[in-house]
Amino acid sequence: MSSAHEHPKADIALRVKAIESLLVEKGIVEPAALDTIIDAYEHRIGPHSGARIVAKAWTDPAFKQRLLADGTGAIAELGLTGFSSEHMVVVENTPAVHNLIVCTLCSCYPWAILGLPPTWYKSFAYRSRAVIDPRSVLQEFGLEISEQVEVRVWDSNADLRYLVLPERPAGTEGMTEEQLSVLVTRNAMIGTAKVDSPKSERVASEAAP
Amino acid sequence: MKLQHHIGGLEGLDPINFETKVFVEPWEKRIFGIHTAMMALSNHLGESRPNYPIGQVPTQFKSFWTWGHLRMGAEGMNPFEYFRLRYYEKWLGGISGFFVEEGYITQEELDARTAQYLEDSEAAPLPSGGDPAIDDQLLKYLTEGDSPLRPSTDTPKFSLGDRVRVKQVLSGDHTRLPGHIRGRAAEVVKVYEGAFTYFFPTADGIGTPMPVYSLAFKATDLWNKALTDDNMVYYNDIFEVYLEAL
Repeated sequence: MSSAHEHPKADIALRVKAIESLLVEKGIVEPAALDTIIDAYEHRIGPHSGARIVAKAWTDPAFKQRLLADGTGAIAELGLTGFSSEHMVVVENTPAVHNLIVCTLCSCYPWAILGLPPTWYKSFAYRSRAVIDPRSVLQEFGLEISEQVEVRVWDSNADLRYLVLPERPAGTEGMTEEQLSVLVTRNAMIGTAKVDSPKSERVASEAAP
Repeated sequence: MKLQHHIGGLEGLDPINFETKVFVEPWEKRIFGIHTAMMALSNHLGESRPNYPIGQVPTQFKSFWTWGHLRMGAEGMNPFEYFRLRYYEKWLGGISGFFVEEGYITQEELDARTAQYLEDSEAAPLPSGGDPAIDDQLLKYLTEGDSPLRPSTDTPKFSLGDRVRVKQVLSGDHTRLPGHIRGRAAEVVKVYEGAFTYFFPTADGIGTPMPVYSLAFKATDLWNKALTDDNMVYYNDIFEVYLEAL
């Protein structure tokens, strides 16, 4: 193992390959099964699910009400619950409140709704700083939150998982649920971004009859 | 004190590095896949919610493996190793150690295979294929999950609006109570319906079904005013055993 420190990257890759090959040989792990899991999270499960929930909440006030009262139940209506999102709480951004999601103890995140967490979400800097000085963290993401706006930080340490319902941007009146869902980004649903208004030429073309 | 439990509020860290990728190196996908497959085939799933027909799934993996086991491994590390290693490298260490400990493989085998690949990374190519019944279980697990919610048996000790104090617990091998809220006062802002179990009992008292509360802490009750701001509220979901009346 002494060589681990000489070629760290190559060596880790080979150590993973070594354990995988032994586990495959002994029938404990099946390569096709690993491919199935990786493929699911690379191509099927991801922030587009969360974006669907947000867009529906923006266009369907009764759904939004149910979503904020019982996230788990409302998300189940859309068939989007799943592993690591068994119990969901949805928190709403308003002109007076900005919400931010973090996990200080590890990297808890609503996998079924947002996919796997980006690397920065798992970093020590984010986990540590988001809970003490969120405004400066948000500034690094390019988001200025005025001192008049209350920042609420949600640390996921039990088995509830969180989704931020961002504010619907101006200039989206008349857009369909599907058009809206394209605007919603992963960071907006973690709380490290707002949803931008669509580019003006796009609104013009889409608003045209 | 275990440094791993005291990440919140550490000073002197760098600005956020905006690496947005989920997997930075290809090997990270493989160890992620192994861990997730282990969770999806864990022997406790026959008695979970939902209960899976795990006994009929044709897998040689017959052990108990959950998030709790992975987290416990990371919390048991030398803290300086914990900070040095890449995220998925910690997974690799915990998972390799588990397979050796459970007797599926030996350390000698693992070292020999690693040495072989180090000499020739194309030696012993990975086979492909597998039993579709295993895939079915994995996909079912990704869709249905493993809920800790159980019918509630006792009335929750605390109610909406109560002021409570977080206990100073001895964490033992594994905890779900971060260091920065221990000993601090908070307000109960939600009592979740039902009772929440944990994958296994921990020395600090979770693992039997119990109420969980959403607690609100004023940032200035947690941190020095100079380091935080007045217009911030910090929330965390806390198991009842970690709380006492104020």
